[in-house]
Amino acid sequence: MGSRGATVVLSRANRIKAKLQSVLEATALEIDDVSYQHSGHAAVRETSEGETHFNVKIVSPKFEGQSLVKRHRLVYDALADELQSGLHALSIVAKSPQEAAAKK
Amino acid sequence: MSCVRAFESTIVPSSTFSTSGVHKTAPNRPLVHYPTRPLYTPPLTSTTSLARNILYGPSFRRIASIRCFSALTPELKTTLDKVVTSSKVVLFMKGTKDFPQCGFSNTVVQILRSLNVPFETINILENEMLRQGLKEYSNWPTFPQLYIEGEFFGGCDITVEAYKNGQLQEELEKAMCS
Repeated sequence: MGSRGATVVLSRANRIKAKLQSVLEATALEIDDVSYQHSGHAAVRETSEGETHFNVKIVSPKFEGQSLVKRHRLVYDALADELQSGLHALSIVAKSPQEAAAKK
Repeated sequence: MSCVRAFESTIVPSSTFSTSGVHKTAPNRPLVHYPTRPLYTPPLTSTTSLARNILYGPSFRRIASIRCFSALTPELKTTLDKVVTSSKVVLFMKGTKDFPQCGFSNTVVQILRSLNVPFETINILENEMLRQGLKEYSNWPTFPQLYIEGEFFGGCDITVEAYKNGQLQEELEKAMCS
């Protein structure tokens, strides 16, 4: 555990944050690791390290005028590497800056 | 003596056999015996559908044995084209309609049930090739995946959002009426 832990500099949540900020120019980002809510899940039992399910709330100007499907695809494309390496599911709330402001 | 008589009585006159004139003492048998295996055709009940027949039939398993770097082979793509249009509403999920095995999949099932629309569900846990192929086909890395009228609608979040703002009901009505 010790030697493996040393090679992972950032936790997955931090890596996700960094990627979304750089790729999607996010103005607001909230990332929560909710793997514990899914710990009985068939897939999670195989890799018992957690960091498999995340809630992502992101506000980005790139989402302007895009359908929900497009926005989610942008997020998924940005996190393609994570999805290959054990990230299992994302709950995404993706808003454009106008929508985020309107909500408040 | 008696056994000879018994033997005589079992010899059937040749006229009862085929007209080829060959005297056979055994019932007609083909010269080469092919093992007969009936083609698997599951009964088409109201719960079974075209999608299930395509996906779980023998031809699909042969496709699954082709090794490919991309999970989405051309054959799988054609099959998926057929599956997503086989029913107006198709949900690729983890588990089945009656026994979902994932919270997100369950949410979508419950939403669709509450809207009283007929929908088809496919359990992607049963078939790893299908699961990976679908991710490429839909360009979507997670499940559940909802298709309405052959078009990808979204995953759980999108479905919930659309349900809340009425968009899902609109789409479904359009699909049902067409």
